[in-house]
Amino acid sequence: MSDRKIKLTSSEGTEFIVDRDVADKSIIVRNMLEDCDDYDAAIPLPNVTAPILTKVIEYCTHHRAEVWKSSTDDDAAGGGRKADDISDWDAEFCKVDQGTLFELILAANYLDIKPLLDLTCKTVANMIRDKTPEEIRQTFNIVNDFTPEEEEQVRKENEWVEEK
Amino acid sequence: MNFMELCSPNDDISPPVTPPPSCVPTSSSSPSGSGSPNSSHPRPSQRLRSSSYIDPTFNDNPYQLATIFNNSQLDFIRQIKNCFQQLDGQQRQFFLQEIIGVCDNSQLLFVSNLISPKLKIDFLKALPIEISLHILGFIDNPKTLSRAACVSTFWNSLLKDESTWKRLCNRHQFRRRNSSITGGSLMGPPARRLNFSYRDYFKRRYNIESSWAHGGKVKTFYDSSDSGLVTSLQFDDEVIVVGCDNHKIEVFDVNTGARIRTLEGHEGGVWALQFKGGETFDKERLLVSGGCDRDVRVWNLTTGRIRHVLRGHTSTVRCLKMKDKKLAVTGSRDMTLRVWDLERGVLKHVLVGHQASVRCLDIHGDLVVSGSYDSTARVWDMNTGQCLHVLQGHYSQIYAIAFDGDKIVTGSLDSNIRVWSPTTGQCLATLHGHTSLVGQLQMQGSTLVSGGSDGVLRVWDMDSYECMHRLAAHDNSVTCLQFDDKRMISGGNDGRVKLWDIKTGQLIRCFTQPAKTIWRLAFNDTKSVVIMQRMGGQNRDEGKTVMELHDFDSGEMCE
Repeated sequence: MSDRKIKLTSSEGTEFIVDRDVADKSIIVRNMLEDCDDYDAAIPLPNVTAPILTKVIEYCTHHRAEVWKSSTDDDAAGGGRKADDISDWDAEFCKVDQGTLFELILAANYLDIKPLLDLTCKTVANMIRDKTPEEIRQTFNIVNDFTPEEEEQVRKENEWVEEK
Repeated sequence: MNFMELCSPNDDISPPVTPPPSCVPTSSSSPSGSGSPNSSHPRPSQRLRSSSYIDPTFNDNPYQLATIFNNSQLDFIRQIKNCFQQLDGQQRQFFLQEIIGVCDNSQLLFVSNLISPKLKIDFLKALPIEISLHILGFIDNPKTLSRAACVSTFWNSLLKDESTWKRLCNRHQFRRRNSSITGGSLMGPPARRLNFSYRDYFKRRYNIESSWAHGGKVKTFYDSSDSGLVTSLQFDDEVIVVGCDNHKIEVFDVNTGARIRTLEGHEGGVWALQFKGGETFDKERLLVSGGCDRDVRVWNLTTGRIRHVLRGHTSTVRCLKMKDKKLAVTGSRDMTLRVWDLERGVLKHVLVGHQASVRCLDIHGDLVVSGSYDSTARVWDMNTGQCLHVLQGHYSQIYAIAFDGDKIVTGSLDSNIRVWSPTTGQCLATLHGHTSLVGQLQMQGSTLVSGGSDGVLRVWDMDSYECMHRLAAHDNSVTCLQFDDKRMISGGNDGRVKLWDIKTGQLIRCFTQPAKTIWRLAFNDTKSVVIMQRMGGQNRDEGKTVMELHDFDSGEMCE
């Protein structure tokens, strides 16, 4: 099957030709391929731009040999969701600007590529980790929209976890 | 290229050397920005030349543009903008490169400040909420989550989502089932508690864990009528019951430590006691006690009234266990065990067979297991009074026994621990390691902890019979120990109380000031009671018996 070539079309109409096993990493693409026998028709991905699709294909190609099992069971048990187990290649892959990371998350979600969604979400989680509220605001350009009274109340509500 | 002609050197269209500060989007969050914009710049409305130039094609600041440029300049800028928008990607890049090339340092800084926030995204707000929660799902540290809640009103509301905290409860193994952290507004399954919050529950459990690790509120109580040697201790959510060698049983309020009453009646030292009841569906507590006077007494702990005096043993009652509020089994130096009907106050069976004192016993279901100074243990049916098995193997007196229905464990003066099958009576394993009497045993799940007169605690895996941890805990005999799935407390004749991590075997901390000896200790999820004899010395309270009550759930911040 893997010698099959699949055509994917980005939102701009740019055509990408990938191997079947790479395309299959996206559950939504795999389902589309399984539903229709006509493999020659390009699969339109109107929600994904060409630069993002390039990144997604890069990710799926790198991980093409891996078998991804559903992690739903892990989630239920509360396990298997550590943010610090990112491989070097994956970490390097995620060294992109916030806009690209944002688009990657949406694309991974839309294309249903769970490991890529987890990776990109972990990357954002790691950007939040060990930061003060002000550092978080600066990281993501967030305006502190609490009134002084609200801010004091919120600070009090959350001080239980500090200094331990 | 014609667009280059548009931007031929013309000082008029270059931005002012000092950019209008209100254009800098970060100015509201970074007060370190330049000056106060409104004082240095006249209000835009005063300088407006023509309202026709309030043009939506200019971004956020049409007013300001109109204050800086005249009409023809504005037209020109609009032209350039339109022109730029018609370029393709590569052309736009070239255009920008040219513009940036003629900027000075301050203008580059302006551009940089203008751009960098635009390249940032409030991910949690911009993403679909289920993805935002997915991101939060990768954060285990409650500190990070609490700080995130302080970022903005949106983040604050997102951090109130219960799924995040429920997952965190699971991750930290703050399970509510089988937890004695009950009472208060947080308790009971969510179905029965409409206002249950996993966030509040997590917070409470987190604070309790933190108090355990760093020290909770400690209250110390001195017994004025010095109770001397303390032999037995049990407590629950309301009362602490202490059995003493001075013939008395003292009952204290677990929250205040105040003495509720003294149960007097025994004519000798009290050596064993147990109470049942005190639950939501069964308020009344029933206490059974025994000791040197050979009598077994049944008390209504709620009223303090004696209900029955059960006579029959011909020597000191050394151990007892209640099956429920209807049945109790006692073991005595008279070599027998007796099964009592607590409701009618009558003897049901005498279990005869041991050739020496019965030192310890445990019950599970309808089975009684007893350990004796005759070096054997026996398995009995408490309904028929029959001896089912005699467990032979120890070379010396048995001092401790534990039984979970599946396995019987005995500890002996021969310094060995033996594991037995209650159904066949076979010895399944002998656990070697202690170098002296094994006097303390507790078994829970697949974990057994033994404490010896060698001062050592051993944690055993009951599936493999391997010793997981060997803890050189005390300089002298281990006098008491208790563990649950998280922690263990041990007390020794060296007067020390130590708190251990049961999984890693690490010492967490020493629990109290060193005393002369530790009589008894007990703990549940949120409280611990330690009864000890204080060290002799210049202090007025030297050598006195003291009860320490440690509360890890004070509901207040530890400060």
